[in-house]
Amino acid sequence: MTEQSGAETSGALDRVLTELRALSEDIESCAVLSGDRDLLSSSHASAVDRERAGALLAALADLSNGAAREGGKDYASQVRIGTEAGHLLLVRLDGGGVLAATTGPDARVGLVLYDMRNTRGEVDRILAEGNEQ
Amino acid sequence: MKKLLRRLVLLGAIAGGIYAVRSYLRGGTAATESVQIVFDDGSTRSLASNTAEGREFADIARSIVEIGL
Repeated sequence: MTEQSGAETSGALDRVLTELRALSEDIESCAVLSGDRDLLSSSHASAVDRERAGALLAALADLSNGAAREGGKDYASQVRIGTEAGHLLLVRLDGGGVLAATTGPDARVGLVLYDMRNTRGEVDRILAEGNEQ
Repeated sequence: MKKLLRRLVLLGAIAGGIYAVRSYLRGGTAATESVQIVFDDGSTRSLASNTAEGREFADIARSIVEIGL
């Protein structure tokens, strides 16, 4: 991926995530983590916060795949974690990456996951096009 | 009537005692957080946050929810 195509991919992902947040009002923040565990798109402007969020997300993605292997499965396709402060939702992408979102505690999580699964195809397409260039 | 009331109070005290002992033996923490994982074959696994594995997921998730993505 060249620097220019990387910027195009990042811009396209930002647009898709903005659309997802507009569609699903319960989403407070969302991000895309690549199969190589790079945070490709995030609502954080600060590099430090992005790095921290990316590292935590990568740890969680690896943990869920570990749970899959432990149970004799290939991978975790969806993870839903409810905490007192809100929910964290992960949907797996084609190349092993993750589309992630956080919501408040009273969010309609089923609907958010439905919107995330619908958005997944668009994110996969952008990432595949980015890899071709 | 008085005798029946006394028996009811005694019964309530015993039930409360049993509940307290059970809660204490379970570690005293209720599973307020939950983890649900759906795998590639469609099967699902749920982890309660009062288990070691569930706690690991919940701790990371709580940090992410707090700082946002």
